Amino acid sequence: MKFTLDWLNQYVDTEGHTADQLADYLTMLGLEVDAVTPLHQELAPLKTARIISAQPHPDADKLTLCEVAVGDDILQIVCGAPNARAGLNTVIALPGTTLPGEVKIKKSKVRGVESCGMLCSERELALSDSHTGIMELPEGTAHGRSFITAMGLEDTMIEVDLTPNRPDCASVIGIAREIAGKLQRPLRLPVEGARVDHASRSFSVDVESPELCPRYAARLVTGVKIGPSPLWLRNRLTSIGLRPINNVVDITNFVMMEYGQPLHAFDFDNLKGGKIIVRSPKAGETKFTTLDGVERELNPEMLLICDGERPVAMAGVMGGMNSEVTDDTTTVLLESACFNPVSIRKTARRLGLASDASYRFERGVDPEGVCNAMNRAVQLLCDLAGGTAEDAGQDMYMGRLPLKSLTLRVSRSNALLGIDLHAATIATLLQSIGFRCKHKDADTLWVRPPTFRVDIDREADLIEEVARLHGYGNIPVTLPQVSLSYPEQDQGRIKRTTIARLLTGIGFSEAINYSFSNGKYLDLLHLAEGDDRRRTVRLLNPLSEEQGVMRTSLLPGLLENVDRNIRFQMTEVKLFELGKVFTSTGATTQPIERNRLAGVLCGNRHGYASPLHFKEEKVDFLDAKGAVEFILGQMRLNLPAGPTSIGFDLPGADDREPFVVPGETLQLRLGETILGSVGRIRPEILRGFDIKLDVYYFDLDFDALCGLVAAPKSFTALPVYPAVKRDIALVVPGSVAAGDLVNAIRTSRDALIEDVAIFDVYQGKTIQNGYKSVAISVTYRSSAKTLTEKNVEKSNKKIVDLLTEQFGASLRDA
Amino acid sequence: MEHELQSLEREARQELAAITANSQLEEFRIRFLGRKGQFSTILRKLGSVSDEDRPRLGQLANTIKKEIEQLFEHRQEAIRQTASTAVDTEARLDLSLPGRVAEIGRLHPVTQIMQEICTIFENLGFSVAEGPDVEQDYYNFEALNIPAHHPARDMHDTFYVSDSILLRTHTSPMQARIMETRQPPLRVIAPGKVYRCDSDITHTPMFHQVEGFLVDKQVSFADLKGVLTVFTQKMFERDLPLRFRPSFFPFTEPSAEVDIACVICGGEGCRVCKKSGWLEILGSGMIDPEVFRMVGYDPEVYSGFAFGLGVERIAMLKYGIDDIRLYYENDQRFLSQF
Repeated sequence: MKFTLDWLNQYVDTEGHTADQLADYLTMLGLEVDAVTPLHQELAPLKTARIISAQPHPDADKLTLCEVAVGDDILQIVCGAPNARAGLNTVIALPGTTLPGEVKIKKSKVRGVESCGMLCSERELALSDSHTGIMELPEGTAHGRSFITAMGLEDTMIEVDLTPNRPDCASVIGIAREIAGKLQRPLRLPVEGARVDHASRSFSVDVESPELCPRYAARLVTGVKIGPSPLWLRNRLTSIGLRPINNVVDITNFVMMEYGQPLHAFDFDNLKGGKIIVRSPKAGETKFTTLDGVERELNPEMLLICDGERPVAMAGVMGGMNSEVTDDTTTVLLESACFNPVSIRKTARRLGLASDASYRFERGVDPEGVCNAMNRAVQLLCDLAGGTAEDAGQDMYMGRLPLKSLTLRVSRSNALLGIDLHAATIATLLQSIGFRCKHKDADTLWVRPPTFRVDIDREADLIEEVARLHGYGNIPVTLPQVSLSYPEQDQGRIKRTTIARLLTGIGFSEAINYSFSNGKYLDLLHLAEGDDRRRTVRLLNPLSEEQGVMRTSLLPGLLENVDRNIRFQMTEVKLFELGKVFTSTGATTQPIERNRLAGVLCGNRHGYASPLHFKEEKVDFLDAKGAVEFILGQMRLNLPAGPTSIGFDLPGADDREPFVVPGETLQLRLGETILGSVGRIRPEILRGFDIKLDVYYFDLDFDALCGLVAAPKSFTALPVYPAVKRDIALVVPGSVAAGDLVNAIRTSRDALIEDVAIFDVYQGKTIQNGYKSVAISVTYRSSAKTLTEKNVEKSNKKIVDLLTEQFGASLRDA
Repeated sequence: MEHELQSLEREARQELAAITANSQLEEFRIRFLGRKGQFSTILRKLGSVSDEDRPRLGQLANTIKKEIEQLFEHRQEAIRQTASTAVDTEARLDLSLPGRVAEIGRLHPVTQIMQEICTIFENLGFSVAEGPDVEQDYYNFEALNIPAHHPARDMHDTFYVSDSILLRTHTSPMQARIMETRQPPLRVIAPGKVYRCDSDITHTPMFHQVEGFLVDKQVSFADLKGVLTVFTQKMFERDLPLRFRPSFFPFTEPSAEVDIACVICGGEGCRVCKKSGWLEILGSGMIDPEVFRMVGYDPEVYSGFAFGLGVERIAMLKYGIDDIRLYYENDQRFLSQF
């Protein structure tokens, strides 16, 4: 809602308060001011001027040579306007002035004659589209003065960001009422208490759908001369960004802004049968052309304004082409009505047509204000468009509601707000903006809200008014008196927070990607037809196809991030994301939402750590695997003795992720449940994401991991006797997995074995082709004694024998 | 023997004082203090003195040896210091080199702020709960007193999945979800992602909110001001001027928007605060009796307040981030700054 300070002052005297102060009052009353903009600042250098003499230009037919008085100066100006004549008061832009549209005025020669400035048309000053001649200022305008001051154009525009509950303030009078209440000054209304006393015989109104149109009033104005509005009116409209059209349309727009009541002017001569019928479309009425020239599809739910034969307007949204006011119009039927908010909203939505009128009707206009606005407009039609108004009119008010009567408990209001106001103070506050109050008993006020306050229905609404008018700033600041209780926290969330933080400790940064993603990524990942991740939730109104479906995997987002980082020369990437994926359960039910934890690794293993200390090495499969082991370890899900010990499985061709390099991937599995996977992403898949470097990933079902039983922390007594370490260097066939060697040792059930670790794996020159060397370190310890060389040798030999037998291993040095 | 000890002490002191290099120190150590050094030699002779004299002489020998040892250490330290300050061509430890530590990653700034917010409220006794991102129209709107065709729906540019399923436009549905299943007193915050179909320099189609509400007997608007004042003071680590101003949300009445004095210009007026000196950081209000009625609470018995705050907005103000699109590009140059 926009208005100007000068306009506001028509209804309330704001003397002594600056625009910024008024803006602050409004903001603190809940009418948030978005902007305070001084108007016409670019016209400030312009001066009023008077043409003293006008002679034809010696060398050009259409140019006039003018002597122009600007204060004490007499200037020679060459002017091309047909209306340049001696005695005319007009406006001049002197050299050095910049006009709207970046036009710089310079002293120049026009056809050999010097011209010291420019006399301007309204269009050149961006005041209107009029360019028929230079501006004609009223007789008696003194020359040499500031143009905007002389013309009363000095003004400040204030824009309020209205909340949907305050349609009454979608009007300058509504704003003025709030200011008047705040300043405790009277509100001056141009018209109030208006009624239609006699039914017109010139036309009839029939409302067939009173539930959609509680009130419909109209009056007839004859002898109207269509023309431009006077400058003050055009200026009111342009100052709030409306384009002046002609006097009749401008008046309806002006009064709508003034009273908040949308009005519509019909060309009465185009209304068949002198009738207005408010009804729904009849069978066969499927199309209607609105006055913007667009043909609209009608629907049976829409409300139409019709004449004796056909629709002439879409009620409350926009008028029709067939009955609009044109330059030839002489008789105007002025409509002022009140429509059902929901009906208007549906129609405006369906047509994609939001107008100033529909905005107000959707939120609710004051049914009692219909005639005030109508009469105000009729008065202006007579004053400014030469019309003559019929004294009578029509007013079909079938939807009159009983006046609301509410009670307000003072104690309740005080308790809810945490203040201590007397009933009398509350009454004074409410009365300042048009509420009527009576004392019912010591604690209770009887309150009648004004009819334009369509948002006030309950005691709670009144309490809000009390808070607002008293001032939120005057309410004390206290802390709630509550009984102590332990705030239970979401365990899943705690685990997510903890693991995320731990992951940063091993070099991963956290990414957050949009929950929606591009459906084509599912193809890019080569997901099979039946893959669960193809059960996407599709948005009906996505911003773009790239954000068309809810994600079912975190990997595409992370791969996009890898691409972006590489493009910006950040080639060492370690990112993880912990977030939801969505699996559809059907179009009209909520999807399954699960938290997953995925990570991507690319480039240097040590990231951006100093290469002085950390030799640059490319990440490989074991870095990704290590991250997963770290996560499982921190969640205590991979301890051999724990209740849940998740290990890695080699996936078969069937259940391998379609986007991994076979042989460089492992799966996490617990029984039949796949908990995630880790591996290298195939280069051709990466190419789909514009990535040319190697990328390793892990992708875990985090909610599933959270649901597993973790190993409890429990103490084991520290060993008393020393340990003995033995290194075993073996040569085994290349196909033997080192991990299997370790497992075989672990499961050999020798009580002396405390720990087994691989410390070197080597394939190369000194080793026979098709074989590799694996070096294993075994730690022996007894809980009962210090081991002797003999004890250890016995166990160690058993192990070597076992490995030789099971895996075809041989001791390397043997 | 006593004499012998005293002359040894004298000799050691003199020698030690003359030492200037590490090599001489080592020579000294071997000659006097080593296993085969002079002190050891004398001490070994203790066995041959009379029982009567032995304790006294033993003590004396030890005292002298300790003194010399101490002097030796002092000398050693003095020489080391001289060496390290002396400018010479000898290679020495370059202390200007970076320390050795593996690289760590960072949590996303949104996560960091979200956790800060949650911690402040947890410390005030709030519990944390989460809800679905893909929500029913009922919880997102109806249960919050926003019926179909209500103009307040214009305040939410909603992504729809079907007529009745949508992406939640705020975290407020958690008010209804929790109140439906639990009884007052309640102190809960609900952090999460929310979605609006709006994308420009100041809007991303997904962002994060933290919803909070407190329901009990006799909760007042003054209490709302109190809790949110504590929150902003802790969040911005100072006593920022705060402004509560009337606003409208269909699920609170009275409703309040909370502004803090602009953290960029300190209230003078700048581009960020649009010259107002104030920055809007959250919406709040007393829970509307209609919302209570829908979850079966008696509004005559219980009252409460609710608030919702934008995490990205607070991160922007706290860290001075000036382009919200950076949040979801996950550029490591951005992430590593927080």
